[in-house]
Amino acid sequence: MNRDLVSSALARIETQPDYTAYQALANALEQANPDARTPPLRVAVLRNFTFEPVLPVLQGEIARAGFYPEIYLGDFDAIAADALDGGSPLYSFRPDFIIVAQWLETLSPALATRFTSLSAADVEREVDRIVAATVEIITGIRRHSLAPVLVNNFPLPFRRTLGILDAQSANYHTHTVLRLNAALLEQLQAFRDAYVVDYMSLMASLGTAAGFDERYWHMAGAPLGRAALLAFGQEYAKFIRPLRGKSRKCLVLDCDNTLWGGVIGEDGMSGIRLGAEFPGSCYQALQREILNLHDRGVILALCSKNNEADAIEVLRQHPEMILREQHFAAMRINWQDKVTNLTSLAEELNVGLDAFVFVDDSQFECDFVRERLPQVAVLQLSSAPATFAARLSAPGYFDSLSFSAEDRNRTPMYRDESERRELLRSAGSLPEYLRGLGLVAEIGIAGESVIARVSQLTQKTNQFNLTTRRYGGGQIRAFVAATAADVFYVRLRDRLSDLGIIGVGILVFRGADAEIDTFLLSCRALGRGAEDAFLAHMAAAAHARGCRRLVGRYLPTSKNAQVADFYSRHGFTAIEKNEGASAWELMLDAGLPECPDWMEIRLVQEEAHSAGQ
Amino acid sequence: MQASENKLKQVFADVFGMEAASVNESTSVDTVKKWDSLKHLKLVLALEEQFGVTLTEEQTVEILNYPLVKAVLEEHGVLFQ
Repeated sequence: MNRDLVSSALARIETQPDYTAYQALANALEQANPDARTPPLRVAVLRNFTFEPVLPVLQGEIARAGFYPEIYLGDFDAIAADALDGGSPLYSFRPDFIIVAQWLETLSPALATRFTSLSAADVEREVDRIVAATVEIITGIRRHSLAPVLVNNFPLPFRRTLGILDAQSANYHTHTVLRLNAALLEQLQAFRDAYVVDYMSLMASLGTAAGFDERYWHMAGAPLGRAALLAFGQEYAKFIRPLRGKSRKCLVLDCDNTLWGGVIGEDGMSGIRLGAEFPGSCYQALQREILNLHDRGVILALCSKNNEADAIEVLRQHPEMILREQHFAAMRINWQDKVTNLTSLAEELNVGLDAFVFVDDSQFECDFVRERLPQVAVLQLSSAPATFAARLSAPGYFDSLSFSAEDRNRTPMYRDESERRELLRSAGSLPEYLRGLGLVAEIGIAGESVIARVSQLTQKTNQFNLTTRRYGGGQIRAFVAATAADVFYVRLRDRLSDLGIIGVGILVFRGADAEIDTFLLSCRALGRGAEDAFLAHMAAAAHARGCRRLVGRYLPTSKNAQVADFYSRHGFTAIEKNEGASAWELMLDAGLPECPDWMEIRLVQEEAHSAGQ
Repeated sequence: MQASENKLKQVFADVFGMEAASVNESTSVDTVKKWDSLKHLKLVLALEEQFGVTLTEEQTVEILNYPLVKAVLEEHGVLFQ
């Protein structure tokens, strides 16, 4: 009954994401028993203003990402007291995320509302004081918690104290807040897993009239208007997906009336609307937005009901196309239904459907996919093509907190993968094919230059992941620094391409035991024996260190069933089984796992690589 | 604008986590346990959103029961059938 209440409230948000719908969902969640199937996500909010109206949106977005939201709300204006005291209820709550929400009017009433009362020296003192106090809070948090911290910057003054004069000096009101925000950013960058929530830009794009509501501010200390409550709650949630391995990775696009105006099969090359003039310019703007996503590492695919030759001709020949064939990792241009096509795209690209975003102009196709594949995010772009680019960008489907060399090269790598499959079809046996690839696994002990990539892999890898432990950069750094632990990474090359760093293994040493805390491989590197080579190397390294026993664990999730028998396939013996989870041991003196003969292993020094190369 | 009372009752249900069918003329700040000052603010937000109105400052504080909410919305031109 209560589950149904939550499901129907979730469905309501999909079609009408208004503030009232979020309230209904928040109430349904509160009444539901936390369901064992949705893992909890604990978010602590430390605040100096009335943050409560944002909570329904935040809770709803956490539920939409597949978690059960648990919220700790700190007392009004008691941020430092909570953060600095290791015994405070904040830390016994064991938060997964900590939000520090500060409003300038509370933090510095003079700076916010009595700017003219301050001398230039007073202003600088206030700026320094606010930055120092915020740094002290984050330092305090880091003493007791490794949870990512989300700290906001400040909206620009919505009533400029000096009117038009305000813009005439860098020392006046508006520029002082800009300077304060810049100083805050600079200080935050020194912390691991501390991020800026950009209230300034959010409020600028909403506009003062929609963003603030002075009635609520005076009545309840709640500064935000309804539009801002939605935007702010959703913005916080955008940080949760990438940090919890829930980022969307693949954008699947329809062609007719989505990438261009009109229907290629009917209107022909000269009839479709695409070009520098309206309305063709709207479709070009959307294509540029898509190309930006491609450059950020989003995998693009086409799924269109069309004659394949017609659509391909547009991609290859149309002079006004921005997107070309090489930007797409896979295509389904045929007359099959889109659910079948999406499912087979997921298989070909080896990306989960829950990492897909599907864009189409047709109500029918969108509803069909929503109903049959609820894990796919569906965006319907119909009517008003001038708004298409903004509507694709607003939800932040693909937002990530890092941008690495691997991201820039992603589509070529996925396309190489399709070519490899072709090679496989033409070669005889699998080992024969693999020998022909010239595979090289470069294995190293992680150091500073690869920590960001290693942490990103623990957060993004779902399928070939034995324990699915998500680690921030700070936690990886702690493993790297520890003498009783080693962090290994593997980079895979073959004669077609360099896949970059695609695997992570963490060994923790206890006496004669080495325990595999983490063992994962990016799914695009599977099927070549890299996992066998990597495990063989880690086992040998543990043995060389004097360990007698290697212990591995399998912790089941909804995604990692394919590795349930990984340890048994590699000669480990089960020592514990409990509700799907299992522990395994391998006695190292009795023989080490073997490396496949088609894989060359090279040991590398960290200096030879950097994650950003 | 024309609206049904069911729509108004649904807003109460969404805000206070109660059954729409249990909302009636005697629903008030004294009978709904969850109706505190923060819920009151959320009620204002939901009413303004669902009925496309902006309440005056006086109205936002005086809507302490169902009949008063209805009366205030009627002042903004909402016609209940």
